[in-house]
Amino acid sequence: MKTLPCRWPTVALLALILSAGAIHFHPQLAAAEETCGEFGTSVQFVESPAEAGRLALKAEKLVFVLHVSGYFEEPDFT
Amino acid sequence: MNALANPAVGEFLNEHFVSSFQKVGTFQIVAGQKQGGNVASYFCAPDGRVLHVVAGPVDSATLLREARWVVDTVKQSLDEYEKSGTSFKAQIREAHAARLAREHGLKVEAVTFDSPAPGEESALSYRDPTGKPLAPVLQLPPIDGPDVSFNEAGQAAARTSPGAKEVVDRIGRRWVLGNQGQVHMLLAGHSLKKIETMYGSVFEGILGEKVSTKPVIVTTPFPWVARR
Repeated sequence: MKTLPCRWPTVALLALILSAGAIHFHPQLAAAEETCGEFGTSVQFVESPAEAGRLALKAEKLVFVLHVSGYFEEPDFT
Repeated sequence: MNALANPAVGEFLNEHFVSSFQKVGTFQIVAGQKQGGNVASYFCAPDGRVLHVVAGPVDSATLLREARWVVDTVKQSLDEYEKSGTSFKAQIREAHAARLAREHGLKVEAVTFDSPAPGEESALSYRDPTGKPLAPVLQLPPIDGPDVSFNEAGQAAARTSPGAKEVVDRIGRRWVLGNQGQVHMLLAGHSLKKIETMYGSVFEGILGEKVSTKPVIVTTPFPWVARR
């Protein structure tokens, strides 16, 4: 399978198409504790979706957000 | 294999995405048993509009396949937008409708425009335990019926897939869709909407978990990891 380059300038176009610049995550997310880390996974997480959006825009990447409820404890997933 | 702990998943997600997490619900202990607890994985544009969702826990191969599909589809759609000016949103919604037909055997017409949002005070809202509205109930595009390639084996597989649920097409025939089929149906009508608009329909509408809060930041998505 063809692997895409890590960063494509076209993601900047996506930001334009979507009228980006403003990060639209819920305002309740503003105050965040420092939570960066991998938490036992191979994925590097940043502190909030808003921060992820800012970094993604800068790095020309997309955003991955996990929504969990309570103590979601699924060894096959995590 | 643990999906998020898988090195290939980590490498791909770290290369193409910036990742974060939120909490959207709680769980209850009833008769010593934990009830509730689930996960939804959102692939979004940098401004938080949802491109794709994986509802519920999946294995590493599935998560990697879906992440790759997002990256490839976004790239193709942006190329097409540059070439022909075709709306990016319409292309993403049509891509979900195409996957619903190809992989789940049901046809829906992708909704390429957005009708006015009902607002949080609408009667059709997901609500917290106090009755406060949290997110709108998003109406799914109607099912036209089976795709030409539809076969009974697909329905048999759907009946045993996670989150299998009965859906009704335009003329009242009943079909079964698992979590991912329902995701494609939802996103054929609503992809590129903000995550806080979508999460109720994903977490409560598809996964059947009660959303008890707006998405909020937590210090760790997996508190038990430190205890291992």
